[in-house]
Order: sequence, then C-alpha cells, then structure tokens
Amino acid sequence: MKKSLTLLLSLIFVTSAVMTGCGGNNTTNSKGEGNTNGAAESTNAAATEEPASSEPFEMTIRHTQVGADKQKRLAILEDVVKKVESEVPGLTFKLDGVDSDVNRKEKLRGEMAAGNPPEIFDLFGSPDSKIYAKESKLLDLTPILDELGIRDKFSNLDPFTYEGKIYGLPIGGSGEGFFYNKEYYTGKGWKAPATFAELEQQLADIKADGKVPLAGASKAGWVPLMLANHLWSRYAGPDVTAKFATGEAKWTDPNVVKGFAKYKEWEDKGYFKKGELGFEYAEYTTQFTSGEAILMYDGTWKSSVFKAGQSGEGLIGKVGFFNIPPVEGGVGDQTALMRDVNNGYGFSATAAEDPRQLEAVKSFIKNLFNEEMQLRGLVEDGVLPAMKMDQNVLNENITDDLMSEIVAVLNDSGSSFPAFDSLVQADVTTEISNIQIQKLIGGQTTPEKMAEVLQKVQDEANAAVE
Amino acid sequence: MNKALRNPLVFTLFILPALILFVMFFIYPIFSSVYYSLTSWNGVSETVKYTGLSNYMKAFGDERFWISVKNNGWFILFSVCVQVPLIVFFSLLIANVKKLKGLYKTAVFMPSIMSTAVIGILWGFIYEPNIGLFNKLLEVVGIDPVYWLSDERFAMLSILITNAWQWTGFYIVMVLAAILSIPGELDEAAAIDGATGFQRATRITLPLIVPIISVVIMLSIAGAMKAADIVIVMTKGGPAGSTEVMATYMIKYAITNFKYGYGNAIAVLIFMFTLAVTVLYQLLIARRNERIEY
Repeated sequence: MKKSLTLLLSLIFVTSAVMTGCGGNNTTNSKGEGNTNGAAESTNAAATEEPASSEPFEMTIRHTQVGADKQKRLAILEDVVKKVESEVPGLTFKLDGVDSDVNRKEKLRGEMAAGNPPEIFDLFGSPDSKIYAKESKLLDLTPILDELGIRDKFSNLDPFTYEGKIYGLPIGGSGEGFFYNKEYYTGKGWKAPATFAELEQQLADIKADGKVPLAGASKAGWVPLMLANHLWSRYAGPDVTAKFATGEAKWTDPNVVKGFAKYKEWEDKGYFKKGELGFEYAEYTTQFTSGEAILMYDGTWKSSVFKAGQSGEGLIGKVGFFNIPPVEGGVGDQTALMRDVNNGYGFSATAAEDPRQLEAVKSFIKNLFNEEMQLRGLVEDGVLPAMKMDQNVLNENITDDLMSEIVAVLNDSGSSFPAFDSLVQADVTTEISNIQIQKLIGGQTTPEKMAEVLQKVQDEANAAVE
Repeated sequence: MNKALRNPLVFTLFILPALILFVMFFIYPIFSSVYYSLTSWNGVSETVKYTGLSNYMKAFGDERFWISVKNNGWFILFSVCVQVPLIVFFSLLIANVKKLKGLYKTAVFMPSIMSTAVIGILWGFIYEPNIGLFNKLLEVVGIDPVYWLSDERFAMLSILITNAWQWTGFYIVMVLAAILSIPGELDEAAAIDGATGFQRATRITLPLIVPIISVVIMLSIAGAMKAADIVIVMTKGGPAGSTEVMATYMIKYAITNFKYGYGNAIAVLIFMFTLAVTVLYQLLIARRNERIEY
C-alpha cells in the first residue's frame, strides 16, 4: 500500500512537472498567436479603413553607440527612435547597446545562427551582410528604398548589395589620413607635406626633436594596418587589394612589398610610439591629444574627438588633416584616398512577416537616412555623409576648421579605394591582422617573408572559394 | 521510503528531471559539437556539408594551433610548479598567524571575486611601460624598461603572473580550510615532543592536506586548459599570436571567420585534451592519496 502510494505520488509529481512545462509553453504560444492575430487583425482593420491597431508591440535596435566618444551618435539615434515611435502606433523600441566588435564578431553571429537577431541591428557590409543575405536572414530593402525614393541617394551601396538586392544601409562614410598637430607644425614653420619626401623629412625632424612622430597602438592589428594598407596601395595602386581575391594580383608583387618595407623602415627608425604592440586603440588617441605624438594616422571619424566636451577638446582648432602624399614611382592615382561606407544598419528578414514591423522599418529608414540626419552626423559628430549631398549645403553647414580640411582632402582626392578587410577573405584578414603586421612591427619577419605567407593564405582562400 | 527507492521505476522517476537537464546541457552539446566538427558549417546556413575529419586534420597541421596548445601547457606548468607551492606556502603562513586571520583570508580571496576585465585593466597599469609599477621598480635599480605585454619574451609570463594572482587566493582559502580542519592535538603533541614549526608544517600538516592539494592541482589543470578571458583582456593573443591559447585560437581562427565547423572541431579537441590530462592525473597521482584517516 505504502509502496503504491509512493509510486503514485512520484507519478503525480513527474506528470505535474511535465504538464507545467507544457502549460508554460502553450501560454507562450497562445500569446504569440495572440500577437500574430493581433497583427493580422490590424492589417484587416487597415483594409477596412479603421485606424491602425495601437496594440503595444516592441522592437529591438542593436546599436554600437556606446562610450563617451559616441554620445552624439547615440543622441541622433534616440531622436530617430522618438520620431518613429510617434509615427507607428503602439511601437516601443528597446535600445540594446553593444560594443561594435562584440556585436559584429560574436553576438550578432550567434543570434543569426539561432535565428533570433534583433529586428534592427548594426551591420557591416562586406563580407557580413552578404553572408547573412545569402542565408535569407536579412530583409530585402530594395522595395522600401524604391517606395521612399532614396535608392539612388546613397554614394555607394556596393558593400550591402547581394545579387542586385540591397540588404543594409551605411550610416556614414569615412576617409583615412594623417591628423597632425597644427600648433607644433606652425611653431616649426611647417605646412602639411605636399610630397612624400617632405613627409619623411618631417618625421625625421620630429624624432630628432625628441617627440614621437607617429602615434602607435597595435594591440589590435587593424590599427597599424590602416596606414600599411594606404602605403601598399600608394606603391602598388589603389585597386591592387581588390585583385588579391580574384588572383589578378599577388601580395608578393614587388610594389606591395615596397609598401610593407616602407612601414618597416619607419618602425626601424623609431617613428612610432615605442611598445605599441601592447597599447589599445584608445591609447592611440591619447598619445595624440596629449601632444606626445605629433601625427596620427586614423579615420575621419576621429574628428569627433576634437569637439567641445570630448577628450580632444584642448586641441580644438589645432588639428589638421592631410592625405598621404604621392610616392615616387607609385602605381595608379597617387591622390587616391582610403574610404569606407561599410558600417550601417540591417534589418531582420522576419520583419517582412509582420506588417507593423515593416511599417516601423520603413519609418526608421525614412527618419534616419535623410539629409537632415546625415548633416547632423557630419556637423555634430564628424561622420561623413553616406548619402549624396549638395556641395553648397555641405559648405553652409561646416563651420569647423578640421571638418573643412577633411572635406577639402576628400575633394582633392581623384579616386578612392576601400580598406583591405572588405576585399579579401576572412582568413587573409586574420593572418595579416593578428600575425603578420605584428611580426613586422616586432621585427620577427621581413616584408618579403610577410608577403609570401600572405600569398599562401590568399591562395588557399581563393582555392576554397572555387 | 527506502523500499520505494529500491523500486527501479520510482528510482528512475526521481532521477529523471536531473537526467533530462544533464542530457540537455551536457550530453547534447557534446554530441552536437562532434557532429558539427565533421562539417564545414558557417554558423548561419541551414545546409550543412559533411567534410569528414578534414577540420581535425587542418588543426593538427596548423602551426598556430600547436603554439596555442603549447601555451596551454605553460598555463598548466606554471599553475602546478609555481602557483601550487605558493598556495601551500601562504596557506601555512595564514593558518599560523595569531591575529587578523580573517583580514588575510579576505585580502587573498579578493582577486578571485573581481572580474577578469577589471583585473586586465589593473595589471595593464602595472605592466605599463612608462608609468607602470614594475618598470618604475626596474628604473630604481637602473634596468631599462621592459615591454611586458608587447614583447614576445615577456607577454606570456605577464599573463601567467596575472592569472596566478587572480586565482591563488581562491585556492588558498580551500587549502586553509583543510589545514584548519586538522585536529589541533596532532600539532600540539608534536610541539610538546620538540618539533619545530617547519618540521610540524612539513611532517604533519603537509601530508594531511595532500588530498586537497591534489584537488587544487586538478582544478588548476582544468582551468588552465580552458583559459581564454585573461588572454583576450591582456594581449588579445598577441603580439603576433605568441600568447594564443586553444580557446582564443578557436574564437579567432574559426568563430570570427564564419567557420563554425572548424570551431567545433577545436572545441572537441579542447575537451579531449582536458579529459586526457585530468584522467592521466587522476590515474597516476590523485588516486594514490585520496583519503586521510585521523
């Protein structure tokens, strides 16, 4: 009797546990169905000319505007969020701020694999958006852009285009060049160098003066690679990197090696901050803003630091910007500037299944990707517009000297080329960023050996694609 | 009740919830990892292509992977040969202090409750080449600054020291608990017989805490095999991949490159290596001194 009772009690316990689990599951489903029905009802309601359903619903925006230097970018996003929420009844946005690298390389990838990315998220164009688009994880924005009439308003959508369809929109652009300490330059009676020889002479003189000529923080390989990329593109041509993946050009091309050799030469001459392999990117800026380093090769996004309330406030009006001067014997356009429009926003393909989410996406695109917001990005934050803008409008809005210099450099450059990591395969990027450039800096490899190793990895990557 | 538990059906029903959780969170992920390790899955695609053992062959043929295995080996060696003796030494010291024992215990335990990110920043300052504590001390004795985190010769050692600092306190508290649980009469009797403090520590206390030292060594080995966060925070595996460990290799060469199949193969290898090392340790050393009878 006692035994049967225990057995019965155990059975009841396990059954109730299982039932509870299933019960919870059903509740979620029914809630989900409720939502779906709600959405369907709202669509029907719209069809019968009733006002759109204002039943509350939530969407998540994964952004990367975290940290003090990105407060202005966050403020722009928050203003857009408010506008969209007021336009779409019932909508509440949840802002999910994550570090850019963590979002790109870990969080978003995991969510894509699990099939539950946020509805709106920070997205890199190449190669990320193409991989997600191939797997139908991204919302095709082509019809939305056509409907809003802004498809041809962007200066370049190539990084976000896959098989003729657009899967993401760049929030801004950037160009890379040298920021220099104008106060120091004026004190020496110098101007921004017009020739490569002049640049090298200045570097030598700064070194002789006991200052650090170039800021250096190479713990993350992409930081030194900005300059290295520009150097090999000066020597071997702006289009050389794009040809590596197709096999039309090789890393072992003597002109590419010349670029590596020039970087190594500057390392050997002690032009970079000593111990750079142990410094984070944040310290790169500090070396420049503290006056320790006189030049810093970086993207135009860094101009936001030299604004009131930011870490480089003390250098307002004392910073200039110039492109790498032409190198002797360099191939191709010697004014070419490294420019990117590879970062922006993407949208989950699931948004297409819910008319209200789709409406929110349209409203988000309409409110973020327009002239007003692009100008705000430029003026308040130093982010170059990703959309085509009238030069007069630009001139009227730029009051900051540094930004004027940046725009002048952009206008003076005859062509542009994207950074290597959007052109070569991920394996090659990993090899050059994590190993080869750091070995070159640390004196553990030669430019020739570096080129050979890279070509080997490139050949393997090219063969894998075939 | 005892009779009821002898009934296989009741017994099964009682262990079922735990079994389900165990299968869901341990057995299934292992089999899932083994399955994906035999594919070229990119982590996003719904179609998965079987590639046999190619991922394993690739790992075994990659010099970078073996560098990371070697670095895990350094972690183990440093833990066992440097960290454990220090743990025992400090445990014996703290166990014998008469005053402020609680303060010492709290002080040594503190680093283990701090996040690795905070520790990375803290030690980043200590290793800073210009203003860091270590280089300031070297400057006093007239030695040139050392680039602790950016010089291949010192980067791994710097990480090992920081990692040891983080976890030593945790193990000290464990060993201390074992020392304090030794009946006081043993020590008193030895003292009456004229044994010195050193003799009592080495001849009485140490042999009696061998089982807990054995556990500490095993936990250190397991911890060393899965080390990743401290490396990411301090050097990101650099300079030039010289401080890469298996887990960071997996993240860098597989996960971030959309090679989840390869990443799973590395995960399986980490699991197998850890299992092999811990089983070997158990069989060869730990089993011999498992139980102490007073």
